[in-house]
Amino acid sequence: MTVIAERPVPGEPRPFHFPGFERVALDNGLGVIEVDLPGRELVSASLVLPSGAADEPDAEAGVTTLMARALSEGTKRRSAIELVEATERLGASLHAEAGWDAISVGIDVPVGRLAAGLDLMAEVLAEPTFPTHEVDRLREERLNDILQARADARRRAEEGFVDTVYLADSPYRRPASGTRETVEKLTADACRDLLGKRFDPARMTLIVGGDLADVDVVGLAAERFGSWAASPTAEQPGAIPARSGLDAMDQRLVRVFHRPGSVQTEIRIGHLGLPRRIDDFHAVSVMSAILGGLFNSRLNNKLREEKGYTYGASAGFDLRRAAGPFAARTAVNTEVTVPATLDMLHELERIGAADVTDDELRAARDFLVGVFPLRFETPPAVVGSIGGLIVHDLPHDELNRYRPAIEAVTTEAVRAAAVAHIRPATAAIVLVGDADAFLPALEAEGLGRIVIERDDGDTPANGR
Amino acid sequence: MPVPTVRFSDERLPNGLRLIVAEDHLVPVAAINLWYGVGSKHEVTGKTGFAHLFEHVMFEGSAHVGKSEHMALVQGAGGVMNGSTWLDRTNYYETMPSHQVELALWLEADRMGTLLDALSQENLDNQREVVKNEKRQSYDNRPYGSWNEKLLATLFPPEHPYHHPTIGSMADLDAASLDDVKAFFRLHYAPNNAVVTVVGDVEAGQIRAWVDHYFGGIPANPNLPVHLPDMSLPPTLGGEIREVVPDRVPLPRIYWGLRAPVYGDPRLDALDLAGQILAGGKGSRLHQRLVREERLAQDVALFSMGFTGGASVTAGWATARPETDLAKLEGAFWDELERLGREPVTADELERARALTEADELGALMRVDERADRLSMYATLFDDPDLINRILPRYLAVTAEDIQRVCADVFRPDNRAVLTYVPVAQP
Repeated sequence: MTVIAERPVPGEPRPFHFPGFERVALDNGLGVIEVDLPGRELVSASLVLPSGAADEPDAEAGVTTLMARALSEGTKRRSAIELVEATERLGASLHAEAGWDAISVGIDVPVGRLAAGLDLMAEVLAEPTFPTHEVDRLREERLNDILQARADARRRAEEGFVDTVYLADSPYRRPASGTRETVEKLTADACRDLLGKRFDPARMTLIVGGDLADVDVVGLAAERFGSWAASPTAEQPGAIPARSGLDAMDQRLVRVFHRPGSVQTEIRIGHLGLPRRIDDFHAVSVMSAILGGLFNSRLNNKLREEKGYTYGASAGFDLRRAAGPFAARTAVNTEVTVPATLDMLHELERIGAADVTDDELRAARDFLVGVFPLRFETPPAVVGSIGGLIVHDLPHDELNRYRPAIEAVTTEAVRAAAVAHIRPATAAIVLVGDADAFLPALEAEGLGRIVIERDDGDTPANGR
Repeated sequence: MPVPTVRFSDERLPNGLRLIVAEDHLVPVAAINLWYGVGSKHEVTGKTGFAHLFEHVMFEGSAHVGKSEHMALVQGAGGVMNGSTWLDRTNYYETMPSHQVELALWLEADRMGTLLDALSQENLDNQREVVKNEKRQSYDNRPYGSWNEKLLATLFPPEHPYHHPTIGSMADLDAASLDDVKAFFRLHYAPNNAVVTVVGDVEAGQIRAWVDHYFGGIPANPNLPVHLPDMSLPPTLGGEIREVVPDRVPLPRIYWGLRAPVYGDPRLDALDLAGQILAGGKGSRLHQRLVREERLAQDVALFSMGFTGGASVTAGWATARPETDLAKLEGAFWDELERLGREPVTADELERARALTEADELGALMRVDERADRLSMYATLFDDPDLINRILPRYLAVTAEDIQRVCADVFRPDNRAVLTYVPVAQP
């Protein structure tokens, strides 16, 4: 024998604590959070506005992401190209993003040029001009992207899935960047109005992470953001409706998007999920890891390692301010579409029907606890996580409570989370693939009401 | 702002295994990255896709590790892992909490030493199906998914090892046998064809002791290195090659492929900076002209894939808007490329390209996994891990003249393959 048979035992873990921080408010209410990360000279700064695409009016769906993209298209001082050039000369990258829950403007910049980087952030957020010509171009690009999404089986499946799960009054039913009908009507004025509604320093937080030993972050922030006042049109967004019609039904809804000749079928099975702020967050995390998060999760083990149906299968909750979707996902070769769907349903049923094994519980807890320090190696990762706490209004010690809370999750808690939150009996099943190849077999299984849509969105002429 | 020097130790075990260790105690994390000097270029006709299929088999167990247990042990220890196969090499890597490094080293040693003890037809068949679904998911069922295969097949002649893509063909995957796996393992998977790098919160002396302990008993393969056929090529394609590809895509897209200097040649560094100036973000020439000003394209890209044998590939694409005249798009794209060969870039453009390159390098090297990957890469491909410290100065030393010269050599009409993807109506 040329190798050593005995498995090594782990050494003594080095302690890891998520870095401490506090939120300091400037006179105008703008929060500043500074996280000192010694040795990290490439600093990450992010200004977070806790309202996102879910807070926009239905008729203007897509305006938040369009506005965020347009922020750097020109300011009172500089054209878009001059902004890019100024950023590049700093060796920095400036980015503005919008998601369902928040808008953020961020910069990654060497610590010695942080002041100049913050100048650029302040400029794009306080003095954008939203040139019509450029906003028109960005709108056209989004419309073309909508065409591209229809032709991409994965994006088609994701869009078809939320369209099936949510009712029409729920923003999560649509893509966060809007639909053809809404995007076509968006203008530079709409971007300006949206920023006015969101511009309120008391609801903004600047988060800066990196080697800040010699930097007065609060002073730098006060000089640039301290004199900002809320826009006269600023408003406080209300609750986000997140409702599904599936639960009121007594059967599943199977929606098939027919793509003739498709060599794979994209499968999504799921339903309305959960918001981020829930009491059983840690139990849900462990349960999701066992069901569809770990490499050896039940879904991946069954569909990939046992059956060879797919390159990968997973499941998880998209936890947002309101209830985001829960979905199990995979892509399988066309011939095994129906058996793969049955296997997935079986795993969704099994997770709540009996206790997980001690080995499964240990594997999931050990992974989530052990991988925790790996998630926070760099300033952008640390800053992004703190941004998440701010957006969801979670306690500042949430991340330091994480590991003990995961350790404390029991078999009973996993079972309870599965029973409460996984509902295969009234799930939506979305299949994007060659229906001619699997429809008779699908019908024979009696999985629920089947709706078939011929996916004719592949060419610009007849795209939706 | 200077990129910090990466200090490392570099030695060889008696069985030929190269060990590189770089300590960094900032975060209690360490990366293990093992490169083998074998890639899809070692495959022969009728056996394409094999190096990559083999990479999957490496996760199916060895003498003391069960099927899928590699992942279970790494994830259970709070680590992440994967492997990747490319034309010139294959690698396997783990990022672990630092007190779990020994486990990763043991796992890597066990499969290097004893993979064949656990090999079964059942596991091979299972991973063959997984890989075929990977091919369907990543290439066959994806819009424009055939571009890489088509460009390689056009830029490299049929007998050249880079003619076929790493994923291989369905027919060849179907034909792969247990004997193929055994022969491949016995030839290529030996300590004298591998570099193991450990970067992070570790102690170099301890790592050396563990590597001696776990890998020291694995015998070298005296039949290495494998001698590949001559891979040299004329520097240019020798004529333009065009293909129109009807596909289920909503927008036309044009791909360009060009032969470029081999990886490691300083001219490729200059070409990388040219790529930054042409298509590196919103301030680049192609983005400004095609996307912003003339509005011919939805997006545009240009980059080089560095290969060590014969030629690298510089590839670019532009997605047309629905109303765009494709000839006009192609003309504008090509005009910008040729202009770089005609006139020097401005001092300001060069300065910005250098600053961006420096920032990219700094950002990438913050992570222990990236540092480990680079050290293994430079050791495997160039026998020179210290390139990790010299590559940025090399980029920063590139002049406007260097860029002009290499662009004049590479961006020539007789050196281009052009694929035009056009929408085809649904049946």
